[in-house]
Amino acid sequence: MISAELKAVILKQLNLDDFNLQDDTIAPQVPGWDSLNHINIIVEVEHKFGVKFKSRELLQLKCVGDLQKLVDSKLGK
Amino acid sequence: MFNINLQYIWDLLKYNPSDPLIFSTSLFLFLFLFFLVFYNLFGKNKMVRLALLIVFSLYFYYKSAGYYAGILVVSAVVNFFFAKFIASTENFTWKRIHLALAVLLNIGILGYFKYTNFIMQIIAEMNKAQFEPLSIFLPIGISFYTFKSLNYVFDVYLDNMEPTNSFRDFCVYVFFFPNLLMGPIDRASEFLPQVQKELYLSKEDLGKATLLIIAGLFKKVVIADYISLNFVDRIFDFPLRYTGIENLLAIYGYALQIYCDFSGYTDMAIGVALFLSFKLMDNFNSPFKATSIADFWRRWHISLSKWLLDYLFKPMQFSMRSLRIWANVIAIFITFVICGLWHGGAWNFIIWGALHGFMMSFSLLVQKPKQALYKLLRINDTKFLRFFQVVITFHLIAASFIIFRTNDMQVIKDMFSQIFDFFHVEVFLQFAEKLPIILGLMLLGYVLHFMPAKIENGFRKFFVALPWFIQAILLVTVIWIAAQFKSADITPFIYFQF
Repeated sequence: MISAELKAVILKQLNLDDFNLQDDTIAPQVPGWDSLNHINIIVEVEHKFGVKFKSRELLQLKCVGDLQKLVDSKLGK
Repeated sequence: MFNINLQYIWDLLKYNPSDPLIFSTSLFLFLFLFFLVFYNLFGKNKMVRLALLIVFSLYFYYKSAGYYAGILVVSAVVNFFFAKFIASTENFTWKRIHLALAVLLNIGILGYFKYTNFIMQIIAEMNKAQFEPLSIFLPIGISFYTFKSLNYVFDVYLDNMEPTNSFRDFCVYVFFFPNLLMGPIDRASEFLPQVQKELYLSKEDLGKATLLIIAGLFKKVVIADYISLNFVDRIFDFPLRYTGIENLLAIYGYALQIYCDFSGYTDMAIGVALFLSFKLMDNFNSPFKATSIADFWRRWHISLSKWLLDYLFKPMQFSMRSLRIWANVIAIFITFVICGLWHGGAWNFIIWGALHGFMMSFSLLVQKPKQALYKLLRINDTKFLRFFQVVITFHLIAASFIIFRTNDMQVIKDMFSQIFDFFHVEVFLQFAEKLPIILGLMLLGYVLHFMPAKIENGFRKFFVALPWFIQAILLVTVIWIAAQFKSADITPFIYFQF
């Protein structure tokens, strides 16, 4: 389940009003989420949640659900 | 008499560096059919079938690289065990050390064979000393299979896949002859599970494989080889002897030639692999239909660009992410310089890569004002805009291929000076009259290339639905046509040297 906060950060970066983000949603399914824009989303997520990811953790992300899990694990949830 | 024949057969089958076993030779066709019979005879016995595949693949490489085929075995051993070490420890420092050692060994071997002379030349030039190149043999396809093996180690390091426990399966992956010399640079995570599968070929796969071989042969032998030998090479050799229009047509011709040459070979590779019941990844998707340079790289040599994206660009991009857009700009530029260098140790490849890196970085920096301008002119998302984007992108790509083709800056200067100062459009009529086959083939090549995907898919479905004997007749017909077009000895595939 994607949290409302994470969804808001992603949609804001992509200039989208709404998009049905599911756990298994992958970047190419979301308009504007390409490998270049990805970096803006990651930096914003780090900033918003006050966390720091390792490069290896970022390279392992496959879908939005993975990003949610990574954020949760950093926040000790 | 009998002895002479045996000697002839031995000469034909033994290692010959000037005669690699490429898919468009009759020797390959003959050996492959022979191999296919045994491969299917032992279809149910996986052990024997895979052993046959390994032995045939090693022979295939021996035929082109001689005893340097041993590098393949070294590559398989090194990467199999390093991936095992990486997966066997939970300690990240150890994982990283093993990864670094594996990369060092792989790139070290590749670097020695491919870049030693280039590096020595640069050092000699810096010291203003005389440069005597060392005689280092370049084993063909080394860049392809080094990158193929490395993706396995990277994916195990990133936990994208479990390492295989079977050295035999891993050897099938590394040695696999269809993609050994010129890709596609397949992913271990996609390929290894297929080694375990039973031999099965549906009617649809059989039709697809036949069509891929037909298309590949046609592109390579009929279009690429013919226009290269009879037109493109001549202009590139002496551009000043020809008018601007002929130089321009040669640039268009070379773009088509390199595409048909390379994609034709990978079409055949994918088709040959499919006959063995293996599905390889797509490598081309009508690249000249691209609307931007970035789009071109999503359509051209996809297996390499995806490799560079996943294992080079992204790690760099993430590690510099605090720089935001500049992280993208810097990572793109470095990735493409390395992409150029991957093609060969020469300045023209580096400049070619840097040029693509520059064009993509520049386009990234002006993306926002560009979009705003399109909106202002009310042309965003219109066919009109897409048409111009395709035309401009194609010309940038075709121009960049000139640097790819020649290391001689004077040739490039001469070609452009002819185009801008000595165009003579009226010569086109003479050209069409004197070289109707060249013009016809170029037109055919581009028309087929720009064919809407719908029509292409429709034709594929139609071909697959044909009875097998009609497909076989069509295949034999194209082989016959290809044989007619082989006006001279087979020219090596452009991408071999990489």
